[in-house]
Amino acid sequence: MQREEKQLDSALEAIIMRVNDLKSTIAAMIFKVEHEYETLNWPNFLDNFALISGHLTSLSKILSHDKAPNLRNLTVLPLHLSPEKDEELLRMTEGRISTFAHDLVPDYLRTKPDPLVEQKMLTYETKVASLTYDASHKQVAQYNKVINHVWDIANKAREEWESETSSRATQAQTSNSADTHLLVYAVGNGKGLKSDTVQMVQGVGNSIGSNMMVGRAGGQSQTSSQGPLAGQMTKAPSTIKTNIKAASQIHPYTR
Amino acid sequence: MGTGSLGRTWPAKNKWQIPGGYENGENINSQSLPIPNQKNGGQRTVHVLHNSEQPASVFAILEYGNKVVPLIADRLFDLVILKMTNVCTDKKQTKIECKGPRFELVDFCIKLGSVTMTQNFKGVLVEIEYRPSVVPANCWELIREFVQGFLGSAVSSQIPQYLQNRMNEIYQPMDTIHQYLEHFGQYRKSTGVI
Amino acid sequence: MAAPIGTAMDSLSAALKSKIIPNQEYFLQGSILDSAVEVLLHRLRGLCDNVDTGPETFHDHEMCFSIRRGPPPELPLFLRVRRALDYPDMPWQLRYIGQPELGDKSQPTVVRSSLDIATSNTVVEFLTELGCRLDFEYIIRGYMFRKGRMKVTVSKIFKMNQGKLPDGMEPMSQSYLVELSVLAPSGQNAIAEDIRIFAEQLKPLVQLEKINYIR
Repeated sequence: MQREEKQLDSALEAIIMRVNDLKSTIAAMIFKVEHEYETLNWPNFLDNFALISGHLTSLSKILSHDKAPNLRNLTVLPLHLSPEKDEELLRMTEGRISTFAHDLVPDYLRTKPDPLVEQKMLTYETKVASLTYDASHKQVAQYNKVINHVWDIANKAREEWESETSSRATQAQTSNSADTHLLVYAVGNGKGLKSDTVQMVQGVGNSIGSNMMVGRAGGQSQTSSQGPLAGQMTKAPSTIKTNIKAASQIHPYTR
Repeated sequence: MGTGSLGRTWPAKNKWQIPGGYENGENINSQSLPIPNQKNGGQRTVHVLHNSEQPASVFAILEYGNKVVPLIADRLFDLVILKMTNVCTDKKQTKIECKGPRFELVDFCIKLGSVTMTQNFKGVLVEIEYRPSVVPANCWELIREFVQGFLGSAVSSQIPQYLQNRMNEIYQPMDTIHQYLEHFGQYRKSTGVI
Repeated sequence: MAAPIGTAMDSLSAALKSKIIPNQEYFLQGSILDSAVEVLLHRLRGLCDNVDTGPETFHDHEMCFSIRRGPPPELPLFLRVRRALDYPDMPWQLRYIGQPELGDKSQPTVVRSSLDIATSNTVVEFLTELGCRLDFEYIIRGYMFRKGRMKVTVSKIFKMNQGKLPDGMEPMSQSYLVELSVLAPSGQNAIAEDIRIFAEQLKPLVQLEKINYIR
């Protein structure tokens, strides 16, 4: 018995704390709306909702905790109702409630839903009871369709926005990644720079350096005055025999 | 500067107290001979030489058949040659060193090097350099007279073969290296090592 | 007399051990369209070290050789020879470049081993007789900037023509190649961070990144 009481006490304390947090968050939000409505923008306002949802989550965590007492089994009974002003009550509720009178009880200690709400619930329940399986299916399908439609619209809008921003960026594009790769591979590997003016038989089975490369018969150097030396450039893979047609390669690089 | 590298043996040491000359530093002309590699037929030999007169340079001479290609490079070239030594198949590397004192006498520079090939003494090389001139033709006679003054008849009056075709060209450090290489080659041949 | 002089190889191996030889290159590469290159040059002129005579230009010819070291599974050794076409009397440059390593996200730049050696102009004949063969070559022409130890080049690559017209070079692509590089001894990763920070300043004009060009 005592243990349960203690549990109840601690649980109640935790719940009260959370509820207070929630209350302060809502108060902050209202404050914001009332005083800062000129500078308020949607993302900032959404932050408030995020906070509130956080508090609600922690509250629900406590309530669903194993050690939390089953509050459904407990009822709050007013022990003493009087129309007189109660200072302590005023203090505890920050000036909102001054008397614990009979008209408060149905509002604050209500367990059943409001009468209006209750009536609506009744009509819904009768409607649902009268619904056949097929009809409900159809309704569900329709509902899904509508939701999907809205989803598509939202997606399309987002894509449009994104492409708009990217098209703005492409105007200012100053580097082309394809070109980057082309240049880097050319300088690093000779991709695109190797020529095949002279026909040479490829060495088989050798991935690296299987292309026979050619000495340029190019007169790049106008500075070379002497006759060019004929450098025999032949490839000699040590394990592979190949037929190499040695073309006359003129080495333009002399002293 | 004209340089002739002359003679291989030299008489008693006492003659080298040259009046007026002063001794400073030592001179090394070391050489390692990497591997003859036998690709594509024909023997290639690369000689790598260092000269303490040009401490920041490496000299390399490639001999392929009767083609000779000289190269002068920075010291880091040694590292590249090291990387390339896997290319070569043979393991016959020989080192020849020519080391000894260096004298300066007015315009002449005399280097006495005792040649050792992997710890074995082979002989002595004398290098004479006449510093003011850069064309061999202009100072050959002067050098010959100077050297014959203390080496006597060990020195031939003939122009060394290497210089014969180059008497009127400007002398370069590479020419010194070529001459040393020639002599080292003769040492190698005399021991049967190529 | 004096202390015995060690051999040349001794001093070289000592230098290697004490890590003073710059044998690693840290670099990033990117490209920029021809239309935007002026803007980049302006920005670099502002960011980099001051040179009174304007940005330094270069016009080089680079040849890439390779030589086999062993049977096929072994990669061949790649060597590059570069000469200045605008200063024919300058020494030629022999360069050994290793395989690039991109590393993971924590490595800001590509790293490859690299040795730069100045040589006389007989180097191509030397390499050819040694058994190297020419893989490819190109002409590269552009501007060079320095910032501290960092070298920034903005250059255009030209394909070489088959000999008829020396001036008939064909440019590769409508872009300039942009490279940021530092040569340093191994083990200095703070430099890579500096390169990355500099690269940030060139965005969004140029996207400098690690590109693996090995096939």
